[in-house]
Amino acid sequence: MNEGQEKSYVLFPMGEKRFALPAEVVAELARPDHLQTFPHRTPLLAGVLVRRGRIVPVCDVAQVLLGPNAPPRKFFLIAKCQAGERQDWTAVPVTGECELANLEPAHPVDGAPAYVTGSVTAGAENVVVVDLEKLISMEAPR
Amino acid sequence: MKKQPAAPAPPPQLAQRRPSQGSPAPKAQEGVILFTVGGYKFAIAAGAVKEIRGMEGLHPFTLGGISARVGKLKYTLERDGITYFVVDASVHFHLTRSTPARVLVLRNLSTAVLVDSTDRMTAISALHALPRAFTGDEREWYRGLALLGGEVVPVVNPAAFLSKDDQEILSAGLERVRGVAAG
Repeated sequence: MNEGQEKSYVLFPMGEKRFALPAEVVAELARPDHLQTFPHRTPLLAGVLVRRGRIVPVCDVAQVLLGPNAPPRKFFLIAKCQAGERQDWTAVPVTGECELANLEPAHPVDGAPAYVTGSVTAGAENVVVVDLEKLISMEAPR
Repeated sequence: MKKQPAAPAPPPQLAQRRPSQGSPAPKAQEGVILFTVGGYKFAIAAGAVKEIRGMEGLHPFTLGGISARVGKLKYTLERDGITYFVVDASVHFHLTRSTPARVLVLRNLSTAVLVDSTDRMTAISALHALPRAFTGDEREWYRGLALLGGEVVPVVNPAAFLSKDDQEILSAGLERVRGVAAG
């Protein structure tokens, strides 16, 4: 069922598929940057980036969306994530250029993963809209 | 009986402060010692370190089941009448490769830490909170993150190398062994 009102989405590629985030949560698309790592025990976190003086965690959600054989990530999509009462930036590695589009949202199909909040249609392509916080909280498949 | 060190007290300056989320702690210089373990660089408040020394004088730690329970504990060190439990930092941080060569003896704790090398002392003017996306043991391991010339360096929490529970178990075990030896 369509909700009847267009909204802005950032469509980001992960391999041969694309996924969407509401545009209001996206801060910027960054070129490949110097990923820095240090020991930690949080699944999916690949390290941190330094952007405009901020330390931004990098969450490799491709492992959840595509599995361990995801193609190399080329850019970082930096999004605002709600963390308690605060909004933190989180970088998501993506495999190519992103697209900003005004699209009409639809409800997710039955049985969709918990991180899917809806879907949009871009041309002939059906793109699922993801909730980044829920996606980040997922465990990577082993 | 060997004496144990005094109860932990916070080292000076920013040492035991955890920064608020998002923005770094207010500008104040804090001296830190940089060290490496398994190829990673870390910082520790200079005020939290009593002494940096080599590997000499370490005694392998074997205390029955306790040794297995606290697997990161490799040695003890007797220093100025105090028994320090020497934690292998590579095991603490779950790192697979390391070549320990230096020991950081911590101040106000009965803990010393085995590291690969010490680099230099420097000053940090801000401690960035660990982003909330980090939800694992690292929240306990680190007080926060420092930016040193664009490089992100975790600032370790000295008290996290051995939990209070572990310290109590170890101290009790050590006392028991000494009691048996004396008796």
